[in-house]
Amino acid sequence: MRIPVFWRALLRYPLWHPWQLGLTVLGIALGVAVVLAVDLANASARHSFELAMNRITGHATHRLVGGPQGIAETIYTQLRVERGFQLAAPVVTGYLPDAERPGQLLQILGIDPFAEAPFRDFAADLSGTDFDLRTLLLHPNAALLPEALGAELSLKRRDQRLTLHRAGILRGAAFEGLIVTDIATAQVLLDRPGRLSHIDLILPTGPTGERMAAELRAWLPADLRLEQPAERNRVTADLSAAFSLNLSAMSLLALMVGMFLIYNAISFSVVQRRPLLGILRALGISRSELFIGVLGEALLLGLAGTLLGGILGIWLGSGLVHLVTRAINDLYYVLSIRELTIEPWSLAKGVALGLLATLAAAWLPAREAADTPAGAVLSRAHLESRWRAALLRQVLTGLILLGVGGIIIIFHSLTAGFTGLFLLILGCALLTPPAMVGLVWLNQPLTARLGLLARMANRDVTRHLSRTGIAVAALMVAFSTAVGVGVMVDSFREGVSIWIEDLLNADLYVAPLSVADDSERSGVLAPTVLKALQDMPEIAAISTYRPIKIEFDHRPLTLIVTELAPASQAGYRLIAGEASTAWQQFQTGEAVLISEPLAYRNQLTVGDRIELPTEQGPHTWTIAGVFLDYGSEHGRILLHRSGYERYWHDPAISSVALFAAADTDLAHLRTALQQRLGVIQPLSIRSNRDIRGFTLEIFERTFTITSVLRLLAILVAVIGVFSALLALQLERAREFAMLRAMGMTVQEIGGLVSLQTGFMGLAAGLLALPTGLLLAAVLVFVINRRAFGWSLPFQLDPLLPLETLGLALVAALLAGLYPSWRMARTRPVDALRAE
Amino acid sequence: MIGLSLTALLLLIAVTVFFFRPHSQPVERIAVGSAMGNDDTAGYRRADAPRSFHFPVDHGPHPEFRNEWWYLTGNLADASGRRFGYQLTLFRIALAATPPVADSAWRSHQMYMGHFALTDIAGGQHYGFERFSRGAVGLAGAQTTPFRVWLGDWELAGTDVNIFPLRLRAREGDIALDLTLNTTKPLVLQGDQGLSQKSAERGNASYYYSYTRLSTTGTIRLAERSFTVEGASWLDREWSTSALGPDQSGWDWFALQLDDGRDLMFYRLRRKDGTLDPHNAGTLVATDGSTRVLHWDEVDVQPLGSWTSPHTGDRYSAGWRLRIPTEHLDLTVTPTIADQEMRLTIHYWEGAVMVNGRAGDQAIHGQGYLEMTRYEPDTPIR
Repeated sequence: MRIPVFWRALLRYPLWHPWQLGLTVLGIALGVAVVLAVDLANASARHSFELAMNRITGHATHRLVGGPQGIAETIYTQLRVERGFQLAAPVVTGYLPDAERPGQLLQILGIDPFAEAPFRDFAADLSGTDFDLRTLLLHPNAALLPEALGAELSLKRRDQRLTLHRAGILRGAAFEGLIVTDIATAQVLLDRPGRLSHIDLILPTGPTGERMAAELRAWLPADLRLEQPAERNRVTADLSAAFSLNLSAMSLLALMVGMFLIYNAISFSVVQRRPLLGILRALGISRSELFIGVLGEALLLGLAGTLLGGILGIWLGSGLVHLVTRAINDLYYVLSIRELTIEPWSLAKGVALGLLATLAAAWLPAREAADTPAGAVLSRAHLESRWRAALLRQVLTGLILLGVGGIIIIFHSLTAGFTGLFLLILGCALLTPPAMVGLVWLNQPLTARLGLLARMANRDVTRHLSRTGIAVAALMVAFSTAVGVGVMVDSFREGVSIWIEDLLNADLYVAPLSVADDSERSGVLAPTVLKALQDMPEIAAISTYRPIKIEFDHRPLTLIVTELAPASQAGYRLIAGEASTAWQQFQTGEAVLISEPLAYRNQLTVGDRIELPTEQGPHTWTIAGVFLDYGSEHGRILLHRSGYERYWHDPAISSVALFAAADTDLAHLRTALQQRLGVIQPLSIRSNRDIRGFTLEIFERTFTITSVLRLLAILVAVIGVFSALLALQLERAREFAMLRAMGMTVQEIGGLVSLQTGFMGLAAGLLALPTGLLLAAVLVFVINRRAFGWSLPFQLDPLLPLETLGLALVAALLAGLYPSWRMARTRPVDALRAE
Repeated sequence: MIGLSLTALLLLIAVTVFFFRPHSQPVERIAVGSAMGNDDTAGYRRADAPRSFHFPVDHGPHPEFRNEWWYLTGNLADASGRRFGYQLTLFRIALAATPPVADSAWRSHQMYMGHFALTDIAGGQHYGFERFSRGAVGLAGAQTTPFRVWLGDWELAGTDVNIFPLRLRAREGDIALDLTLNTTKPLVLQGDQGLSQKSAERGNASYYYSYTRLSTTGTIRLAERSFTVEGASWLDREWSTSALGPDQSGWDWFALQLDDGRDLMFYRLRRKDGTLDPHNAGTLVATDGSTRVLHWDEVDVQPLGSWTSPHTGDRYSAGWRLRIPTEHLDLTVTPTIADQEMRLTIHYWEGAVMVNGRAGDQAIHGQGYLEMTRYEPDTPIR
């Protein structure tokens, strides 16, 4: 097959310059990979969530749910025997840690096989020979286990280890991390005698179902609710929407960096071949042929890069999914499925990004090359002068983008926040080349004194603005992202640690050791333990706590029922409401304190009234104050125990905070408590330092994903700066040969290259600082506030700018090494002749 | 009465099948004979000798035996002569000989299964339902004082002191029964003073007693309509640990109430080789309640045609001729409607029948219930 000369001429160039070809493809691949990885991880988490919900919900159309202790099993009996309700299935569910694999939680799903058939489909995956119903029902440690877990499984329950034996195999990926037992077994494992987690129901659709639902509601005791699981799942899924959005934003930042990199790589490869394109034009290749040719080549490069990026992205994504899952587990609910779901939609997005960004990046230079008269194309000077002429337009466009971004941010929505943020970054990126010209100009007096080499290096940057401008802008965006996200995480950490420091001011915290890791339910301190604590002379004051989950405005939130010692009260920082009156009102039990996220989301403030569902129907409380809280983005409400006991029949206390009397040896007190009370009930006694450490550890775990993404952005930036500068310097081989021929030494050329790349790296780093701080401010004050409802302090680690500058510089200098080394090895004659 | 001799194993298979196949998928057919082949009877008490019965205690459960049932059937009609047949059977089945660790109220080795059927003879319709439950947390169970056997809202309940008057209530969807049953004849001990041998092996027998004629009044609800009905019911009580031998493949069972006041129970066990089983037996109950045991060679039972279920393809006899020469009885038993197949986890035919024939020179009529297990494919109906 004969390939037309034109195509051969176009394609030969990259083949003869494998370094540049490789760097271009790598640039595209990195951009695609980061975006794809984040997207895949996000989608996998969402997918696992849906699977987890579906395998529990099954075909149930409704669900009976109860208070903090679930539902009494007698309700189920009444439902079936007295009301003759047949399509009902009891469920006892919770989580227990795997004894063999620390950190892995397994979901126990206790069901009644006799009621199960219409509800869940996992039974369909049991094959007859593997399944022993008799054992499942009668043996206290029998369970249906996923194939991967083997025939025996050890779980941790308090300090005990208990082994479950397989009575049947659950086949299929949907059952990973799920253990199905008889309901009796689940009650024992999860320590819920007499209780059910919920009752699943199937009601017919249409008026009959509505009538039945109405009848059921009329019959139900006040503390039970009839819910539709689809609704509940949606609410739970919403919980993580903010988190998911944040991740998506990170991936969009990565996308932005990726697009700049792709743009840089492609436009460079086109710009670099302007002489060739000019010759082709002079030889009679038409404008449109040239245009299509350049685009076609870019498309080929884009395809190669996208393919590589896809592979890289999937590999990266499988690592990220663990981090995402862990963050979700810490923050929201337990997800035990940790496999990467490769969604076609995510892949499509990655491919579209790779190809479109490539085409977009090639479009302008190709257009420009095709439109320029043949003679002018041959001249670099023509291009550079056009670039410089466009500077003013760039400045204007950049400023307009900044203005529009700033205005959009004011609109009160998260999406507006993100849109504004991206416009700001784009504006800053556009302002980068003009800013570089400015920097060069500022640099002139300095370089004037440093000699010819420095002057050359400095002026060269603006002379090659068509190449350096985009490269530095890409680097600037990458580094500013790193700065912005870094500042945000630091600010968050600072906020949380101050908050936790204030809040945890008691000496010791006592709670029953819980059997199951289950956020739905907290243990109950034995009344004798409580009494003993109150009678101890070493203990000066006690605060009691009882967190229960309630629903408010279709969101689950935590009601903290408490009696606070004055010192504990001081730990809550009120951001609205006058402290003394607020606490006074709070003591009456008819006023509550609400957390900042709740106040922000529902636009509540001091003096407003809030209606909460109680066991005796809805009741309204006055809001006496708003406290700073990073404990839950969904909000928390503080209610005095006296008020709680008026509307709930629940004398239980879940945990207490102890203030020791003066001169008490805390370590001694802790041992004494464990010895004296541990025999009554297994207790977890922790100091404030333990809990603080634990909280911050969770914080760090949650933000690992963010830090990893930040590192990825930096990595992409470093590789970007390296490849861009490397390509730039390699292109100038002939120019350097000329300088060599004119008498410059190898060292001098090396110095010139290093100075130049160093300057560009430094410029990118310097320009990234203001942009990064702007980004951080938007993230801290706008995005976080709107996504989670809390206000954060702005915390700038002084090392961060230095770190950024350092990284930019090192990457830039590294990029200068290879061209210098190559230059030194090449005889100038060869380099000159090569053209 | 053999009823449906479900063993624990059978129930396990039943539940397994049920558990496997949610929703309205067709249920796998289970060969009853093979399901009863490999029973583990160790640890259970056996019906291996005649015993003395004590009432009302024996109306209640006998958990040390593996299987037990309270089996009610009846023919009813409303004032306008619209006729119905009904069946409500509550089975107790032990999954193990000894109780499991009592670690949760839900843990129980006693399982309950219920079958409920209504035949609307005038409407030509038959409705059959089944339920399963464990005998725990009040979902299902059996007790003596006051007498009560229940599975969800299917219930047999006596008064504080006695089983009668017995109230039967069952509801499924828009079909419901609420009946009150009273004795008109004394209790009948079947077989050898209540020991009913089913196959050669010692212990392959049940303790078996019946109330063959119970006056019945109450209401039947069918869709939006309610019927005030009266008629006669039959209660069979049986408990056992094992019954059939390996050579037996199924059975046909008759519970007939003749209009001269006599009642006839006869079961015919089918052997795989087609020969008559010497364990076939029956009882003829006189008007005054006195009984006479019918031996296998006293009753000549002949099938009349065959009926193939259009739903399952299973074959059953379409009717029967029963001759008892010693009693000068020659009876033809005809189903009130052909399709009274119980298409539940386990398939069998159980339905209301009409009796016509001669007692000596007199024409005789009657009603009753008939239970048949399906014939194995390709075996002649005989």
